[in-house]
Amino acid sequence: MKEKLEQLKCEALAAIEKSDSAAALEEIRIKYLGKKGELTAILKSMGSLSAEERPVVGQMANEVRGAIDAALSEKSTVMEKAAQEAKLAAEAIDVTLPSKKAKIGALHPLNKVLDDMLDIFQSMGFDVVDGPEVETDHYCFEQLNVPADHPARDMQDTFYLTDSLLLRTQTSAAQARTMEKTQPPIRMVCPGRVFRADEVDATHSPVFHQIEGLVVDKGITMCDLKGVLEQFAHEIYGPETKVKFRPSFFPFTEPSVEVDVTCSECGGKGCRVCKGAGWIEILGAGMVHPNVLKNCGIDPEEYTGFAFGIGLDRLTTTRYKISDIRLLFENDKRFLDQF
Amino acid sequence: MKIALNTLKYYVDINVSVEELCDKMVMAGFEVESIENLRDKMSNVVAAKIVSIAPHENSDHLQICQMDTGEGELVQIVTGAQNVFEGALVPAALHDSYLPGGVHITKGKLRGVESRGMLCSGGELELTDADYPGASVNGILILKDEYAPGTDMRDILGLNDYVIDFKITANRPDCNCIIGVAKEVSVVLGTAFKMPATDYKTVGGDINDYIKIDVENYDLCPRYVGRVVKNLRIKESPEWMKQVIKTCGMRPINNIVDITNFVMLETGQPMHAFNYNDLADKHIIVRNAKSGEFIQTLDEKKHNLTGDMLVIADGQKPSCLAGIMGGLESEITETTTDLFLESAKFKRDNIRRTGRALGVRTESSGRFEKGIDINNTGFAMDRALNLIEALDAGDIIEGVIDKNKGLPQNRILTCTTDSINDLLGLVIEKEEMVRILTALGLETKLDGNKLTVSVPSIRDDIEGRADLAEEIMRIYGYDHIVGTPMTGSVRRGRKNAERIKSDLIKSAMISMGANEIATYSFISSKALDTLKLSEDDCRRRAVKLLNPLGDEYSTMRTQLITSMLTVLSTNYNRKNTDVRFFEISKRFIPSSLPLTDAPAEIPTMSIGIYGAEEDFFTLKGIIEEVMALFGKTAKFQKSNEVFLHPGRQAEAILDGDCVAVFGEVHPEVLQGYDIGVRAYVAEIYLDKLFCIVPEKTVYKPLPKFPAVARDFAFLCDKDIPVGNLQDIMREAAGRLCEDVTLFDVYEGNQIPESKKSVAFSVTLRSAEATLTDEQIDAAVKRILKKLEAAGATLRM
Repeated sequence: MKEKLEQLKCEALAAIEKSDSAAALEEIRIKYLGKKGELTAILKSMGSLSAEERPVVGQMANEVRGAIDAALSEKSTVMEKAAQEAKLAAEAIDVTLPSKKAKIGALHPLNKVLDDMLDIFQSMGFDVVDGPEVETDHYCFEQLNVPADHPARDMQDTFYLTDSLLLRTQTSAAQARTMEKTQPPIRMVCPGRVFRADEVDATHSPVFHQIEGLVVDKGITMCDLKGVLEQFAHEIYGPETKVKFRPSFFPFTEPSVEVDVTCSECGGKGCRVCKGAGWIEILGAGMVHPNVLKNCGIDPEEYTGFAFGIGLDRLTTTRYKISDIRLLFENDKRFLDQF
Repeated sequence: MKIALNTLKYYVDINVSVEELCDKMVMAGFEVESIENLRDKMSNVVAAKIVSIAPHENSDHLQICQMDTGEGELVQIVTGAQNVFEGALVPAALHDSYLPGGVHITKGKLRGVESRGMLCSGGELELTDADYPGASVNGILILKDEYAPGTDMRDILGLNDYVIDFKITANRPDCNCIIGVAKEVSVVLGTAFKMPATDYKTVGGDINDYIKIDVENYDLCPRYVGRVVKNLRIKESPEWMKQVIKTCGMRPINNIVDITNFVMLETGQPMHAFNYNDLADKHIIVRNAKSGEFIQTLDEKKHNLTGDMLVIADGQKPSCLAGIMGGLESEITETTTDLFLESAKFKRDNIRRTGRALGVRTESSGRFEKGIDINNTGFAMDRALNLIEALDAGDIIEGVIDKNKGLPQNRILTCTTDSINDLLGLVIEKEEMVRILTALGLETKLDGNKLTVSVPSIRDDIEGRADLAEEIMRIYGYDHIVGTPMTGSVRRGRKNAERIKSDLIKSAMISMGANEIATYSFISSKALDTLKLSEDDCRRRAVKLLNPLGDEYSTMRTQLITSMLTVLSTNYNRKNTDVRFFEISKRFIPSSLPLTDAPAEIPTMSIGIYGAEEDFFTLKGIIEEVMALFGKTAKFQKSNEVFLHPGRQAEAILDGDCVAVFGEVHPEVLQGYDIGVRAYVAEIYLDKLFCIVPEKTVYKPLPKFPAVARDFAFLCDKDIPVGNLQDIMREAAGRLCEDVTLFDVYEGNQIPESKKSVAFSVTLRSAEATLTDEQIDAAVKRILKKLEAAGATLRM
């Protein structure tokens, strides 16, 4: 009996080894382990054995069943794996074929740069406010220390809607509005569209964009202004960027400065982009003029502040090396897709 | 303000290079627009003597000249000019020379004969008679026979200088003159400033015997100074004076006119010279023009005057447009014998208004507009008389008439040195502050830490502490400012609610594949015609600019569609297929016209799409997503915009309010924009979306019980909107309804002519339990019954 079992095991394992399909494996399983299978037949005939032999043979038969089961299962796994591999191989594709586009759009480059800037200023605690594009003479000029007939009005060619309504020439108009509404401490930026009667060419547009910044508090100094602008310049142009103040004139700040940064292209050595100067003018700034504070109901003896105005269009064209500002308003898809 | 370096050196010691001077001036607040090296104008052009002239055998107009260029060996140059002669000294551009404008001259052959350069005319050297006598003659410039052959033409022409163009800011009108700039240079360099002479002798007499002056309007003319000069000796001015005048872009005329212009450039005070003998009644009246009066000015233009314009009149009529331009009748000419000379201050805004009204702007009016110092008026007059004497231009009559209502004294400002340091964030020594202010002509006393500053009228831009701080700082040096980090409460800045919502929409639009565009806020007045809007359409009530750049940019837009269509057109015509654009901007809606208050600025989004994948429903899908951002589902209904396809347009309704209009662009409008494909546009009124108070997001448990789906096909009239049927089904299914989706609309075969077949899948689910057959059947019955009533019958 034992020999029979041993032989059966050998036969079954050999058959499993040789089999080449799931169907063949199943046949083998039925042949040996099925209800009418050979192992079952042997087990059925165990009744003829002695009481001593029976457990020994029983155990052996179980071992044989276990071995055949394991072999079947192992072979089956191998065959499934092979089949899977064959299927995957057959399904191989040319990965260089074009994609099925999952297209996303893009922000306009001006707003892309604006978003970066707002993020920088928000991180420094500046609130973002908005002001109207149609302004009154009062907010755009009078409150900003530019009374009627002041020669400084000639600095800006203004579009008028009526004698007293105009398209704002500067986001500075938001300064007065903010100061009238809010008591210091004030820390705000106002981005927006501004208008000046400039004929359209590669570097001029009657519609352009600025970001006005304003800080008013006790003890604000010109060094604070430089600190903020340095921080801004480092974030926008890189940590090596240096900031330089040059005296200038704006009616609503005193002292007033133009602010230059080291050319991000050459690092200050001088190149075509900065026309050899090593510096690029990026904005105008200054300490809020005491008359402006006074006009807006803030005591200039108690509070000081600074303001700055950044030209967004210029910043955008320099960042992306856009040679003609008109491209920004033409909205050719091939242009817009690049940002 | 253009000033030659050599001119500047006459007034101030300059001990640095022109580049260093300019750098320092920039850092003191005087931006340099340009530095022109006059030697760069030409090179290798010399005076050369024509030794012999021979005819050219292949030409009847060319001549071959042998030139003595001072090098020993003669140089052969062929010329086409006919005015040359043997022995003449002429400018010769030698081989490898440059003429003004960058013209490069090299040797070559002219009809087979070698020519090693070119003889030059005055024009070729960009010279006129004013630069060199005879330079305007048509032909080669014949030089005075006083230079050795080989002398560099630049030395002959005095091109040994730099012209610096300083940009003078609006707060420093005192620097629109040589003296003003020179004083700044002296402070910046720390060198001595030399005031020009103002002394002169008179020939006696009494001015009051010659002229009477009355100022009728002291408001517009706070000071008027007059002098008389007899026996004029009109001639050319000296070269140095002509140079200064030409450098500033003006034209030398004669000694008297040139002196008035020179003094203006030197002192900043415009002056005017009248022909004394042309003044009726020997009476000068400074008064407003009378209506009906006119004047013909020096440029021979005739101007009709109005009562708000100031004139200098004689006893009968206006003789000069005050501060702007003199009259032709009292012009100084070569035959003028006697002079009445004016130095006055006129109110700046009046000069500006008159100049604008008449369209005249001169060097003089420009200076009055920017503002001149009332205390400088007499000084300028004395300087002019000094020059008249120095140039022997006439005999000065004793006496001055100086009409004014009192001259301003210096203003006294006080502030502490600490308050200046506090503003700057620096610690500048008190003594240094005093030194700088004093050097700038602001007499300053220090008492403890208190500064007492005496500000002369010429610096009326200095009003208080901030101005003093700036004066100190620009000389002390802005490089001393060291950035300090912001201090204060630590919090991130906030955006306002509208901007946050607008950003949200933008990112959603971008994720839906749309590109953001940017277009101008003003449009052509005719743009609305392209939309075929009716005459009484409220969008035609638009705000107009009073002074637009042209009609193209004349009207504040009341809608964003025309701008979008323009962009679609640009892209279509550039062969860009498949575009999806959006813009968030403002519409400007006036409350009344003519405008009394600022118009409402209404945030609005436009969308424009075209391409193979785009149709009405892709646009509708985008709009639904935008509504979904605000937690809302809009209802859609047919709309009737004239610029949209009458059968393919809709408006989105939220809470009874129209929040968007969209659809396919009308073919005629498309044609107007030269767009050759179907395009779709939308306008979404963001103001209405921004008003929505967002509901707080609260998690809903996922369903525990299975859903049941039932499909139905109905037959109904073609014109019943599917949306209505959907609404009916949703309502009929009631609480159990999870979703109603359309999966087929069919017209044609087997369907009666005026009918369509629509098929829906209805999903029912209860949150409490698995639905029973009875519940499902009841819901289905309700749906069928309601639909039946609405004219839709179940297809079996």
